[in-house]
Amino acid sequence: MKRIIKLTINGKTIEAAVSSNQTLLQFLREDMDLTGTKHGCGLGDCGACTVILDGKAVNSCLVLAVQADGSEILTIEGLAEDGKLHPLQQAFVDKGAIQCGFCTPGMILSAKALLDEKPNPSELEIRTAISGNLCRCTGYQKIVEAIGEAAEVVRMREES
Amino acid sequence: MLLPKFDYHEPATLEDALRLLSEMGGNARIVAGGTDLLVRMKLKVEKPSHLISLRKIPRINVIIQRENHGVSIGAAVTAGELSTNELIMERFTPIGLAAARLGAPGIRNRATIGGNLVNARPAADLSPACMVLNASLKLKRSKNEREVPVNDFFRGPGETLIEPNEMLVSIFVETPPPWSGGAYIKLGSRKTLEISMVNVAVLLTLQSQNGPIVDAKIALGAVAPTPVRAFAAEEFLIGRQPSAKLFSEAGAIGVGMCEPITDHRGTMEYRCLMIETLTSRALNQAYQDAMTWKPLPV
Ligand SMILES: Cc1cc2nc3c(=O)[nH]c(=O)nc-3n(C[C@H](O)[C@H](O)[C@H](O)COP(=O)(O)OP(=O)(O)OC[C@H]3O[C@@H](n4cnc5c(N)ncnc54)[C@H](O)[C@@H]3O)c2cc1C
Ligand code: FES
Ligand code: FES
Repeated sequence: MKRIIKLTINGKTIEAAVSSNQTLLQFLREDMDLTGTKHGCGLGDCGACTVILDGKAVNSCLVLAVQADGSEILTIEGLAEDGKLHPLQQAFVDKGAIQCGFCTPGMILSAKALLDEKPNPSELEIRTAISGNLCRCTGYQKIVEAIGEAAEVVRMREES
Repeated sequence: MLLPKFDYHEPATLEDALRLLSEMGGNARIVAGGTDLLVRMKLKVEKPSHLISLRKIPRINVIIQRENHGVSIGAAVTAGELSTNELIMERFTPIGLAAARLGAPGIRNRATIGGNLVNARPAADLSPACMVLNASLKLKRSKNEREVPVNDFFRGPGETLIEPNEMLVSIFVETPPPWSGGAYIKLGSRKTLEISMVNVAVLLTLQSQNGPIVDAKIALGAVAPTPVRAFAAEEFLIGRQPSAKLFSEAGAIGVGMCEPITDHRGTMEYRCLMIETLTSRALNQAYQDAMTWKPLPV
């Protein structure tokens, strides 16, 4: 049985018919063609599917699309503004915090949720924020540094 | 990983939800955060034909302070909210600390206290924390309701007193008396996203800042088919003057309560050693917390 859901994805309001057993991850990737959100384990363990739902980072593989009805969603595709990378994305590039890139969208959205709540996070807070995101390539250090650097850029941008 | 097919219901009132639950009997499951249920459905361990969501039910996701005597936590309050709620951290410390250790941020933002308790995994984080606070669970079905002490709730791995047509609606916790302090320690082989090898929750109450112990509650998780209270260690502590030595003796007594298993997360011998060490460490932390007890600003 299909249900109609209405939600906002990256600032755009969307109405769609979804099956009750479709996850938010499937809906984003298959129906919305937003393939930046990755499908890793499908079981909540890897964080590759992280999106921001009503301000909170969640594993979209464990959210039903029908449960996102009425919500606001931010995916990696919604981060850049006017073709300019978000400071988090830029810092990941600059710092070499990306290798294969599979974990990157999830990492960046977990970091974004953190910076939205705590513009000046400690290293421990950064490490906690990405503790549900696995990276097989980088060894995490560069990711932590990139998030710290991006936090500074965002703060400076907001002050000016 | 695909989910099997099911019908999804989003009742707008508690009454509607309870009616659906009683009509559908064993074919329906409540879905709160879904972090446990959806995993089990993907793994084909469970195949309910109906899911009843708590999303639209008013007030099931709020924390309500009851004057000075306690707090009522809605069953759909998330671990994330519990771990950032000042009242919970200050007065109901073991719950706040345990919530902060459950899974990782993305999981905590969805995982609910109700789901964690009804799940009844021996290693669940919030169960021992609720046990030392003597929480009382409000279970409702269509025509009646009952209150069950969390200390009687667990029956075995995944088994509780809840009936298929009942819903856990809220968790009531009395405010611990002045000069109480709490702690929660979880041991896993990594810091996050880890099911505990051993976890310990403690609540200590002193007569006064430097006074003897007037009440002690210790609960251990992952050491038996259900979380267990270490009654012998609790009794041993009551009436005595707190000290590091006393706490390590209590830790040794605590081990007597447990029947830990050997599995890939740790051997029985290692678990017993850890129960002793962590119980005494948690008692020390709860003692520090109790000594710095202060009235809440009004
Ligand atoms: C990656 C990952 C890591 C995890 N880490 C931990 C951890 O560190 N510690 C830990 O304790 N758990 C952990 N869990 C397990 C799970 O997240 C928790 O048990 C969580 O609290 C379950 O809550 P939920 O709201 O998601 O439950 P759901 O999945 O929605 O429900 C779980 C069960 O409880 C029933 N239920 C839910 N709410 C009610 C209610 N109000 N009344 C009656 N029945 C109800 C459901 O029908 C279902 O059977 C983890 C899970 C994942 C996927
Ligand atoms: S795909 Fe969702 S956590 Fe791995
Ligand atoms: S960059 Fe390859 S998984 Fe993180």
